[in-house]
Amino acid sequence: MNNNVQVLIKYLPIFIPLIILELALMVTALVHVLRHPHYRFGNKVMWIIIVVFIQIIGPIVYFVFGRGEDN
Amino acid sequence: MTDILTLHHVQKRFGSQQVLQDVDFSIPTGSIFGFVGENGAGKTTTMRLILGLEKIDNGQIEVGDVPVTFGATKTNRITGYLPDVPAFYSYMTPREYLNLCAEITGIPNRAAKITEMLQLVGLPDNKHRIRGFSRGMKQRLGIAQALLNDPQLLICDEPTSALDPAGRNEFLELLASLRGKVTVLFSTHILSDVERISDRVGILHDGRLQACDTLTNLHQQYGQSQIAISFAAPAAAQQCATVLRPTFGDQVTVTETTVTLTYQGDYTAAAQQVLRALVQADLTPTALHKVDPTLEQIFLAVIKK
Amino acid sequence: MKDVWFFFKKELLESWRTYRFMILAVVFLIFALMSPFIAKLTPEIMKMSFGDSLGIKLPKPTSVDSWTQFYKNIAQIGIFVVAIMFGGTMSQELSRGTLINLVTKGLSRWAVVAAKYLCLVVEWVVVVSSAFFVTWGYTVYFFPDSRSPHVVAGFLPLLLFGLFFLAVILFGSTLARNSYGGLLFTILVMAVLYLVNLFKDAQNYNPVSLIGDNMALVQGTKDLAKLAPGMAIAVVATGCLLGGAVAVLNKKKLA
Repeated sequence: MNNNVQVLIKYLPIFIPLIILELALMVTALVHVLRHPHYRFGNKVMWIIIVVFIQIIGPIVYFVFGRGEDN
Repeated sequence: MTDILTLHHVQKRFGSQQVLQDVDFSIPTGSIFGFVGENGAGKTTTMRLILGLEKIDNGQIEVGDVPVTFGATKTNRITGYLPDVPAFYSYMTPREYLNLCAEITGIPNRAAKITEMLQLVGLPDNKHRIRGFSRGMKQRLGIAQALLNDPQLLICDEPTSALDPAGRNEFLELLASLRGKVTVLFSTHILSDVERISDRVGILHDGRLQACDTLTNLHQQYGQSQIAISFAAPAAAQQCATVLRPTFGDQVTVTETTVTLTYQGDYTAAAQQVLRALVQADLTPTALHKVDPTLEQIFLAVIKK
Repeated sequence: MKDVWFFFKKELLESWRTYRFMILAVVFLIFALMSPFIAKLTPEIMKMSFGDSLGIKLPKPTSVDSWTQFYKNIAQIGIFVVAIMFGGTMSQELSRGTLINLVTKGLSRWAVVAAKYLCLVVEWVVVVSSAFFVTWGYTVYFFPDSRSPHVVAGFLPLLLFGLFFLAVILFGSTLARNSYGGLLFTILVMAVLYLVNLFKDAQNYNPVSLIGDNMALVQGTKDLAKLAPGMAIAVVATGCLLGGAVAVLNKKKLA
């Protein structure tokens, strides 16, 4: 256990930006899901779950495949 | 320059289908030209040819005496175009979109011009993106971008067909308000729109312009003049029809209490004839009136030809 | 010429407001952070899961491992994220008819291609350079060794390959009928290039070497000048693809 904390502290300079990036991506995607309730497939609840719980890949999949047509 | 737009024997085929056989007409400067035809008659194709968006097979088109070429044609500098379904960048605000158009067209004093255009078409000047626009709002933005460069010729493809009655009304008034400033060519299959605002009409059918004239001339040429006589009872109407048949032949029809007859030539002469016959037969109508030919009748008469 | 600038601004705005640039930047930055991290962690994870029962002694990770991760991530995933993001850049304009208004206003079609390419290049350079510098920084911090002397020499071919790759995407997108057509074309081109790379004699002439030989360049076992033919071909191909895109667009109906 002690070992794990050591690892965590040692790699803090990488963890912090990584977490910030993940959160930024998640929040942007989440806001988009909530504000544009039209999806190419799936529904709101499904996309919220994907975006929030699947780190990095979830938001990207949403923006690339799930986001509805703008027009 | 009296004609802003001239088409000389224009032909266009898509694959094996000859869409335009021989379209030949011109639009005098300052008029509002209604371009009528059934769906698929080739109205959009003709317009796209005028804009250089399609390659012409045969013939020539001139806008303001300059020939149109396929691709980037110079004549587009004096032309404004509103496509049937105008497509915009949905992530922009109307002002941003108009600014892009204005930059490309090279309009001086862009901000003021855009403000003026937004007011003219009645769109709010705020941060809302085009994404949330209704069909009618997009149509208005479409006319704003088409009028942005102060075109001499405005081409609208079915501008009213997707609008609700109120929106249609507004849009027609907007077009009518341009009379004298801009020459307008607009296509439609809603004939009452043409009757309301245009002073010239072209009827496209079978790949040719079957008729192209002022509305008045078309009325004289193709319109069937009719008189409707109403009676209190069906029996009297029947009697009236019997009386009139010797003079007006088969052109007399009866529906319930109304007799309709088609006459040739002058209204006064025909009406006098009818009145005399009625007095002789001792028949008293409740109403007698002249029925003006509608564009619909003219249209049907023209495409039957 | 002015048209290029106007349309370029529109392209930048589009990339920004449709989140394309942001997604790309985040993905590349995550790669940049993960590369040194995974290099450092792999032996520790092994140790943690197997304990000391593992017979062989694991070599200590070096800066070479970090850069290997970086180039692997970019070449195998990164560039395809780019292709997914931008595969529809032209085909969407064509299928939606958004160019009609602008072309009838006098926007020349070559300017559309030029502006789009320019915008793609700017985004690529910004994104991939930031990723490069982030990885460089962390690599120096975590692996203070001298095993990767020619860091910049390894990066330049990647940067150049991007210019070629973006031209492929743009040409494919102009040719295609829908958003996925451009992506498909790009994947096809890459598949062909990788097949050609099976022939040893062709390798130095193949643009794909620009994203394959980076580690040899970084370590100094290969000279950058050796790749000159591949770079030249990439540049020439870029020119041809862009010219081709203009030619195709000139013939296209806009809706």
